Amino acid sequence: MTTLIVVVGLAVYVLLYLTYGKKLEKNVVKATDDETPSKRMYDGVDYVPAKAPVLFGHHFASIAGAAPIVGPVLAMAWGWVPGLLWVWFGNIFIGAVHDYLSLMASVRYDGRSIQFVASDVIAKRTGKTFYWLVFFLLILVIGAFGAVLGNMFIANGQVPSAYILKLVAALILGVLLYRVKMNFTVATIIGIIMLVLAIIGGHQMPINASYGTWMVVMFFYIIIASAVPVNVLLQPRDYLNSWLLYIGLAIGGIAAVFSFTGFTAPAFTSFAPIVSGGQPSPFWPVIPLIIACGSLSGFHALVGSGTTSKQIEKESHALPIGYGAMLTEGFLSTIVIISVSGFGLSIIQGAGQDLTVANWGNAYAGAMNASFGAATTFTNSYAAMVDSTFLTILPTEIVKVIAGMWVASFAMTTLDTTNRLGRYTLTEILLPLKDKNEGMFNFLTNRWIASTIPAIIGIYLAWSGSFTILWPSFGSANQLIASIALLTGAAWVIKRQKAKNANIVLIPAYLLWITVTAAIIWFSVIVLPGTIESNPTTGIVVLIIEIVMLIMNFVFIIDFLKNKNKPLTSEA
Amino acid sequence: MHGGKGGVFARILGYIRFFFSTMDQSHRNKVTEVTEFEVKELENLFVLLLMGSFTGVPSPPSFVAAELLPHLEHEIKVLNERAKDSFDSLADMASLLDID
Amino acid sequence: MKTIFFSGKGGVGKSTLASAVAWQLMEAGNRVLAVSFDPAHNLGDIFHTKLSHRKKRFKKTDLFLQETDLEQSANEYIEANMSLLNEVYSYMQPFNMDSYFNVLKYSPGVEEYAAITAMEKLFREEQENYDYIVIDTPPTGLTLRILALPRITVAWIDRLVKLRKQILEKRYTIHKLSGKYSEKGTKLAYEESEDRVMQKLLEMRERYQNVRNWLESDKNSICVVFNPDYLSLRESQRLMTGVKELDLPMHTVYHNKLDNPNSEIAQKVEQDLLKGRSDVTIERVPDIAEPEPTCYIMDKNLIQTFQENT
Repeated sequence: MTTLIVVVGLAVYVLLYLTYGKKLEKNVVKATDDETPSKRMYDGVDYVPAKAPVLFGHHFASIAGAAPIVGPVLAMAWGWVPGLLWVWFGNIFIGAVHDYLSLMASVRYDGRSIQFVASDVIAKRTGKTFYWLVFFLLILVIGAFGAVLGNMFIANGQVPSAYILKLVAALILGVLLYRVKMNFTVATIIGIIMLVLAIIGGHQMPINASYGTWMVVMFFYIIIASAVPVNVLLQPRDYLNSWLLYIGLAIGGIAAVFSFTGFTAPAFTSFAPIVSGGQPSPFWPVIPLIIACGSLSGFHALVGSGTTSKQIEKESHALPIGYGAMLTEGFLSTIVIISVSGFGLSIIQGAGQDLTVANWGNAYAGAMNASFGAATTFTNSYAAMVDSTFLTILPTEIVKVIAGMWVASFAMTTLDTTNRLGRYTLTEILLPLKDKNEGMFNFLTNRWIASTIPAIIGIYLAWSGSFTILWPSFGSANQLIASIALLTGAAWVIKRQKAKNANIVLIPAYLLWITVTAAIIWFSVIVLPGTIESNPTTGIVVLIIEIVMLIMNFVFIIDFLKNKNKPLTSEA
Repeated sequence: MHGGKGGVFARILGYIRFFFSTMDQSHRNKVTEVTEFEVKELENLFVLLLMGSFTGVPSPPSFVAAELLPHLEHEIKVLNERAKDSFDSLADMASLLDID
Repeated sequence: MKTIFFSGKGGVGKSTLASAVAWQLMEAGNRVLAVSFDPAHNLGDIFHTKLSHRKKRFKKTDLFLQETDLEQSANEYIEANMSLLNEVYSYMQPFNMDSYFNVLKYSPGVEEYAAITAMEKLFREEQENYDYIVIDTPPTGLTLRILALPRITVAWIDRLVKLRKQILEKRYTIHKLSGKYSEKGTKLAYEESEDRVMQKLLEMRERYQNVRNWLESDKNSICVVFNPDYLSLRESQRLMTGVKELDLPMHTVYHNKLDNPNSEIAQKVEQDLLKGRSDVTIERVPDIAEPEPTCYIMDKNLIQTFQENT
């Protein structure tokens, strides 16, 4: 079964890439042979053409993270089919289209961002809302990933131990590379040896601490890591991470193909099983809040229209890079679903949880959280899947640590980079305050204050440990950005491209807007009241964010409808 | 080596080598990306300091700038890029810093 | 070699005293160069001869005279830089270069720069050729700025060097990890020894540090000339404070045009000037009734103080 789904998944992605993707390229985007900004505006600084395969790898590494792993695990509550369908078709018809359009709109706008395009084709204030949404996203992503990591670390003390050892290895690697100025290849070999030692060392010396302790550690880690010069810690760490990613992907890919195991998880439970906050969660409209990256992520619009669009060599490269990388990420989510479908049940049962195929719909989310949490449920399933193939020669415990470190590294990278971005977005948001109250403005945008605000709120949220609340709220911010970006793409297609087939973008964009709006309303009305009762501060903070986002969302759609058919004043 | 076994092997070997070298390169680019951004900011700062009289910040004696100017072609390009793009850098930052 | 700066308010007689000191030092058997940086240029008038930026030997004695036109040097400097820049930037106009140079022309600091460059050249080239260089300076404000310039410049260059080091370090990192800088068409330097900006900075730093070291050393002395009146007192006070803040050596002040040392105003001026300055001695110079250009044979010995220091 695992093997079958891998093959079918691959076939679906490749087939639709060649048909639907190509159609988009030809009819909607109308790719030309014109020079791209990387050549037309070449400056050797920001605008530099990159070879397509290299840029693909780069773009993929930027969009891949822990989210496409965690989301699908939670979505398993619906059974494996609904999640898989969303990861396949949501991705192909919405997510990848969104990524591709953002990238191409940016290319046609001289490499300017989707934020700029939105200001141009919709309204000035639409551009501004990006700062707010990204700022909320940062807070919620710290909350959600903090909870993921906290659960991971208490589920398996070997993972944090190995991670800490890896940080030490990264520091040493940094010294070897930049102080001792060692040869790169030699340093890499030493780095990989240290990485292996860190994994073994972590396995030997697990650190067992409480959830609260990990939250405190994480808070200080965020503060310190964002103050350290990049090449001391982060750069060598990211370098080691990427090796980990390749090792993890290679082992996982081989295991998924050669594990001829049947699925133990049910294919479909019910339309509204218990997913978020202990409430029955209807597949529509909730699914995009649960599986964001993997099918659709607003963040990708920013990534694609940020550095990727300035480096793309030819317009024809945009399809494999923008559309293709997103499908690849969907494939990663597919492997996650496969491994949990094959092995999740026995793993959660093994932890003493009362989970069966019969009660799956109502018990899965609770049991999964109570036993390991989403990330570890995946990493243990992954290890079991590896064990079921000829790769069983690898010690299972070590594979668990490798997979755990792989996911933890992704999530950790997110945590310490949010802080760097937090201050910037906050300053932009508070700019109007400057004229009214300069003292207050200076205080809030002070280096230490501004960069700790997201960390303080985020870690506070994570502290509550309500993963099934935090995860969808992170999803809501993310999908809202996606919705705005996709409508921006649609407006671009209508106004600039004057495409006849604009509806193939406009219809998914409207559907997405309606879905996300409905999902946020559902989340605020059905789920959050319960949270406010059990955990007032967390519930209220999340509710405030949701309400502000909802208001912005309506302002946005009004602006969109008003300006959709207005002629443009500027020249692109 | 035409169509023979050696040719096929060589070709496969070539693909594998291409795959790894591409992966390696994109990977290194990704890792250095943030530092590249930092360098650009520092270079920008460097000329900005030198030519502070343009922007109203205190600047070194102008002849220091004038003597260095002939060697600052690259830095001035960076300054120019930043002046043009600084209002639109959220997406750049977002792509540098992996958030999800 | 030793250097002596004469400074003070315009009209107090600093050119006259500088000439007299130069003359007397020559008479005492030294090879002396007298240079005027003062745009008013009285040196030639005093010695009854026409001077230019070339050194001129005075009546076959060991006294040499020279007038440096700061404005002209400034223009020459700008011309030289402009042509260099136009060469380098001819094919690209990142922003309006021409307007930049227009700004440069009127920008403050170019005259000081010309002065400091001329001074640096003097100190470097003439060290072996003369026993003394006597310098007649421009008006107070400009003089203080000139004297402060090496110090300020070195401080700035230090900052810039630090920043540049960071840039190069990070470039090195990138080079190390992605090899980009050595592969792409435009090669960016990442080693200090290859970076022209860094080399230029270090070269400039050395130059200004040398001037600064010289100015602060005991081979140099700054003299203030003042008259028995309040205007010149105030200006001299400012000058003395400025020189002290810069840690430059000052031993002698000249009370020039002094008719009656016991007059109330003369005593008051001296008292005010020397308040809290035990390190400075006063030389009283009587007023020469006739403004004859023969002051270089003035009978009062003015050079004792410089010879004592030897």
